[in-house]
Amino acid sequence: MNRYRLVHTTEFLYDGPVSESYNEVRLRPIHDEQQSCLSFRLHTTPGSHGTAYRDSFGNWVHQFNVLSEHRHLKVEAESVVLAHEPSGGVADPLLLAEFDSLREELDDTYFDFVAPTAYVPHLTGLAELLEVATRASDGTVQGFAQAASNLIHERFRYVQGATHVHSSIRDSLSIGAGVCQDFAHLLLGMLRMRGIPARYVSGYLVPGSTASVDAKQEEVIGGQASHAWAEAMIPQQGWMGFDPTLGRPVALRHIRVAHGRDYGDVAPVRGVYRGHAGQRLAVDVRVRPALDDEGREQLNESAAPPLVAPSILERPQQPAQQQ
Amino acid sequence: MLQSALFEGYDPGAFYDEMFAAPGQPRPQYRKLFQKLASMAPGQFEEKRKLADLAFLIQGITFTVYSDGQGTERLFPFDLIPRILARSEWERINRGLSQRVVALNLFLQDVYGRQCIFKDRRIPRSLVYSCPQFRREMIGVEVPRGIHTHICGIDLVRDSKTGEFCVLEDNVRTPSGISYVLENRLVMTRTLPDVFRAHEVLPVDHYPAELSRILRSLSPRGEAEAQIVLLTPGIYNSAYFEHSFLARQMGIGLVEGRDLIVDGGMVYTKTIRGLKRVDVIYRRVDDEFLDPLSFRPDSFLGVPGLLAAYRAGNVALANAIGNGVADDKAIYSYVPEFIRYYLAEEPILGTVKTYLCGKAEDLAYVLDHLPELVVKPAGESGGYGMLIGPASDAKRIEEFRRCIQANPRNYIAQPVVPLSRVPSYDSEGGCMGGRHVDLRPYCLYDGEKVTIVPGGLTRVALQKNSLVVNSSQGGGSKDTWVLRGED
Repeated sequence: MNRYRLVHTTEFLYDGPVSESYNEVRLRPIHDEQQSCLSFRLHTTPGSHGTAYRDSFGNWVHQFNVLSEHRHLKVEAESVVLAHEPSGGVADPLLLAEFDSLREELDDTYFDFVAPTAYVPHLTGLAELLEVATRASDGTVQGFAQAASNLIHERFRYVQGATHVHSSIRDSLSIGAGVCQDFAHLLLGMLRMRGIPARYVSGYLVPGSTASVDAKQEEVIGGQASHAWAEAMIPQQGWMGFDPTLGRPVALRHIRVAHGRDYGDVAPVRGVYRGHAGQRLAVDVRVRPALDDEGREQLNESAAPPLVAPSILERPQQPAQQQ
Repeated sequence: MLQSALFEGYDPGAFYDEMFAAPGQPRPQYRKLFQKLASMAPGQFEEKRKLADLAFLIQGITFTVYSDGQGTERLFPFDLIPRILARSEWERINRGLSQRVVALNLFLQDVYGRQCIFKDRRIPRSLVYSCPQFRREMIGVEVPRGIHTHICGIDLVRDSKTGEFCVLEDNVRTPSGISYVLENRLVMTRTLPDVFRAHEVLPVDHYPAELSRILRSLSPRGEAEAQIVLLTPGIYNSAYFEHSFLARQMGIGLVEGRDLIVDGGMVYTKTIRGLKRVDVIYRRVDDEFLDPLSFRPDSFLGVPGLLAAYRAGNVALANAIGNGVADDKAIYSYVPEFIRYYLAEEPILGTVKTYLCGKAEDLAYVLDHLPELVVKPAGESGGYGMLIGPASDAKRIEEFRRCIQANPRNYIAQPVVPLSRVPSYDSEGGCMGGRHVDLRPYCLYDGEKVTIVPGGLTRVALQKNSLVVNSSQGGGSKDTWVLRGED
């Protein structure tokens, strides 16, 4: 069973009234040859105007504003996604030595996915990991990426709270721990320093129990179902996923939502609002196998006319770390 | 040889002198001016000069200097000797700038659109994508009427070695200074009316009307209903005087970010009679402060949701977002190539030899020749953060060496251009002295043709031997004349 219904709920609770809230979400699953996004709906409470566009990385972005005064903002994204069976591997995987002759071309074509970023600076501290991964690999590009992913999985501890949403790989590298966002960034760092174009993937990991053939009930998997991993561009093979947190191949249980240079490009929800109030953030993702009649409707978004109200101070909406 | 007390002992020196072909021999376009000045009674020039200063003070024509510890608002020093361009010379500049503006606009359309220039390998993608001013948010956004570069202030300098004008930098983000062009002319005509009247000087005062016409033409609701505002960062901005000046001249509202609100993808101004739709924003707020949702989330200067309204085509912005990639100083060296690529023409105006520190071979050369080069941060404007090798001590050169090595892509280097000079009044010496100048003409592009008010802003380095003309670095300005005939 690889057709899933996902409900991703983000709730902001404010201590006092806020207004003029402008938000942009990247919550609509990718629709391509690897997976089909059969339906997508976005609900906000209070109701809002919505518009959508595709960003320069090809991700769907939905924007909505809540101008009137509110103390609570709930964003609910509901989607039905079909994961496709992967096509077989290539017979003759590209060797690192062959790859190196293509470097100059790749550096230019995939500049964004090779260059360092704020979350993923090129660090000399990664050199030792690169060396180990090179020795452990079978000499192919894919083998190197797999070895790098395995190495991060073995060397780093998965510890919630060890890092925060703005942590760069400098932090996770120094403490030897992090969450999936950090693991994905570490893998990006290793791949890019080796010259392999790599991108951050934001998405969901469907629990093994839901994915089993006889699963029926809904699973509450909390913020943890919001997942992140990395994809490497392997010439002649295309983008290939590696999940250093899970330590297992990226397959039918990985649902892709957005990709970019790092977390900063694909944050699921971000926004600004006016008001002095403090805020709390709650994220919840529920997933269950989709029923037979789900996912047949048209892709659409909710929209309701907003009201206007005066306001005071602008604040960024608290972002959620991908764990 | 002509005589004048005012110019007694004036030495054109080793530089190209705009006024004198040789000592005591004014160039043809300056002859009448020279005679007029020579005929002044002793002390009269000094008196006129004081009157001009007073006029600027009374009108409050100021600008703001950042980070110098002194009072922020200053008078913009005005030098009473005009800079005169021969008509034929101006015609060439006009053609050269028009060509450049159109090519820069095509480049911006391309890098945020189909990106043919990368596919055709005329510029490395990495050079464009590594530019901090390259806005990925603009990729695929169709700007109104395809215009990105509505207003450009392109800096020209005359190289004393060749006597020719060449482009020093392209300012295609939010160039300022046009208000000084207009005010300088006003003060000049009042201070030296008979001198001015003796010449047939091409007018500059149609600039606000021309800009207003272009802004109106961008309106998504059609020209008749167009509501236009000028968006300023506020009174602490260095060019606030100009913002209020232009808004008044064009009869449009002067607003700050907090006066605007986006609702349902439309932009409105908050007025005492409720919300009023805005169609066109002449924005003088930098990209990164324009919309906290898309750019810097801590910015209070912008309008949240503005980019979405722009993307939806519900509001026009001038200039477009993301133009900084076209006036990046590393990309500058490719502009002649843009002209050949997009227009199939040869560039009319030359450029200055530029070393890109991001290229290994250029970097090696630059690090070996720092004492003789000018080094500039690629993404800055306004003369901030640059090194003038010949005028710097060893300590400063070493500081720069470290900066360059830490982030080579961020720096370019150029040989020192020996700028031409114009006689300017030295109030300390009480006499005329040659002072280095540049020229910033203001180009307006309506999608079909480029309009440039004749002349532009001549900035002058009032300190003796200084090559830095930026107002933020202690420069002044001169009225700039283009003569109708070839006198």
